[in-house]
Amino acid sequence: MTLAAAYNLGTRLFWRDKAMLFASVVTPVGLAVGMPVLMRNVTSEGVTAATEIFQGTLAILLSITTFMNIAVALTGRRDQLVLKRLRTSRLTDAQILAGQIASTVTQTVALVALSTVAVRVLADVPFPPDPVLYAAAVVLGSAVMAVLGAAYTAAIPRAELAAAYTMPVFLLAAVGAGAMPIPLPGWAGTLLGLLPTSAVVDAVARGDVLAPALNLAAWGAAGLVALRWFRWEPRR
Amino acid sequence: MTAIQVRGLGKSYGGFPAVRDVSFEVSQGEIFALLGRNGSGKTTTVELLTGLRRPDAGTVRVHGLDPVADRAAVRQRTGVMLQEAGFFPDLTVAQTVDTWGGFTAAPRPGGEALELAGLSAKAGTRVRQLSGGEKRRLDLALALLGRPDVLFLDEPTTGMDPEGRRDTWQVIRELAGRGTTVLLTTHYLEEAQRLASSLAVMDAGRIVASGGMAETLAARGGRVAFRLPDGVDPESLPLPVTREGDLAVCRADDPDLAAQTLLTWAAGRGLRLAGLEVRAATLEDLFLDLPGSVR
Ligand SMILES: Nc1ncnc2c1ncn2[C@@H]1O[C@H](COP(=O)(O)OP(=O)(O)O)[C@@H](O)[C@H]1O
Ligand SMILES: [Mg+2]
Repeated sequence: MTLAAAYNLGTRLFWRDKAMLFASVVTPVGLAVGMPVLMRNVTSEGVTAATEIFQGTLAILLSITTFMNIAVALTGRRDQLVLKRLRTSRLTDAQILAGQIASTVTQTVALVALSTVAVRVLADVPFPPDPVLYAAAVVLGSAVMAVLGAAYTAAIPRAELAAAYTMPVFLLAAVGAGAMPIPLPGWAGTLLGLLPTSAVVDAVARGDVLAPALNLAAWGAAGLVALRWFRWEPRR
Repeated sequence: MTAIQVRGLGKSYGGFPAVRDVSFEVSQGEIFALLGRNGSGKTTTVELLTGLRRPDAGTVRVHGLDPVADRAAVRQRTGVMLQEAGFFPDLTVAQTVDTWGGFTAAPRPGGEALELAGLSAKAGTRVRQLSGGEKRRLDLALALLGRPDVLFLDEPTTGMDPEGRRDTWQVIRELAGRGTTVLLTTHYLEEAQRLASSLAVMDAGRIVASGGMAETLAARGGRVAFRLPDGVDPESLPLPVTREGDLAVCRADDPDLAAQTLLTWAAGRGLRLAGLEVRAATLEDLFLDLPGSVR
């Protein structure tokens, strides 16, 4: 199956790239596990605070491990003319992108699962009360972020700039989800609440279903439409 | 049987016309060469023929299929070697071929593709350590993985040493001999002349000459060159000549006949035509005659 081949390629290259592994695995997992452990030990309401902050750090995982990672991978392969070569194979354009998106989502989901277990063991953060909702929110949220990250590459002029270009997205997502405790004016909080990462955190933290589902559907559709402008080759 | 059919093809980049009103046909099992200077539009044409770009005008059919709309179907039968495409530098040659096999329907065994491209000895080498010519051989191995019926080769031997070039010519000839249609671009005129049975010459996006190789060259005649004997007035020769250094050059539709005429004339006067050289037109002559070239 060709889609499976594209998926395997994305996965194989992900685990081979040591520098990228540090940025997209060690850093976000370190934050997602480290901050709750810290909270558990320094505050009196330890478990509650640790749980809250862990739910917020899901936005960090989604914006780094999914969004930044796929943007860096695709711009790199675009600029090295690997995507161009892939288009001479039997893969369709949709399969090339779907394979990469699926592989990025798998990596994110694996790291979220790992972090969930780690904070349970290290910071007594309870397992999610509704595991199905939790899993759905994480899988859909990361799929939407992967589509958006792929579409966002159209705005990134060169591969070396990919990480820098995704930085603002990471900051907005982290602040919006409360993973970075910065006081915000009300309107800013409302706006940041519209981010797909915020929708995932709302679903996980408050058990909301309908609003996050609509939010993710809207962002996912927008991302799929924006893929029309995906660039397969570097600008010249 | 027509394998590739191109009619009125046009493509502009932001208003700059890179390919204009290009039409030609390639029969099955034929080797067709697309020639032209740098920037004449060869690569753009290949990218249109392989469905990587959408034409602004005209149609392309590969075995009757539109390479943009039916790309997946066209790919079952075509192999493509782009002028430039990336590899994963950390994979070995063998791993690269295996990875690519995953994107190919019923691929050749990797070893067979490497054998064909003359790269078996490098199977365990990382791609980043290959020379330019070896990377080109790997490009060829990947293009051949799917046992294509139609092969597109954009400057296949650029960067190869003479041995690599000869090996590649041999592979191309054998494939064509077994019925594979080959469309190649090159700026090595010798390569085109040795391999191709028909050709099209592009200049500034247009086709300025095309047809069978033998007929195209025959139509351009040939030349006879010799050192003009001391004291002979070029005006007194039986055929008109031009001077190129110390050589007198006679251009003629039938260079053999012209040589005979000149030799008979010289023998009658007891003269020797030293350094006599008779040859049919080459692609180089054809190229130098293109508008805009400096002779
Ligand atoms: N992606 C592109 N964007 C803009 N101009 C291009 C692009 N690709 C090629 N060109 C221009 O189109 C013309 C034809 O290029 P190309 O098809 O690469 O010719 P060739 O392969 O014969 O050297 C050149 O003038 C080149 O600069
Ligand atoms: Mg070219």
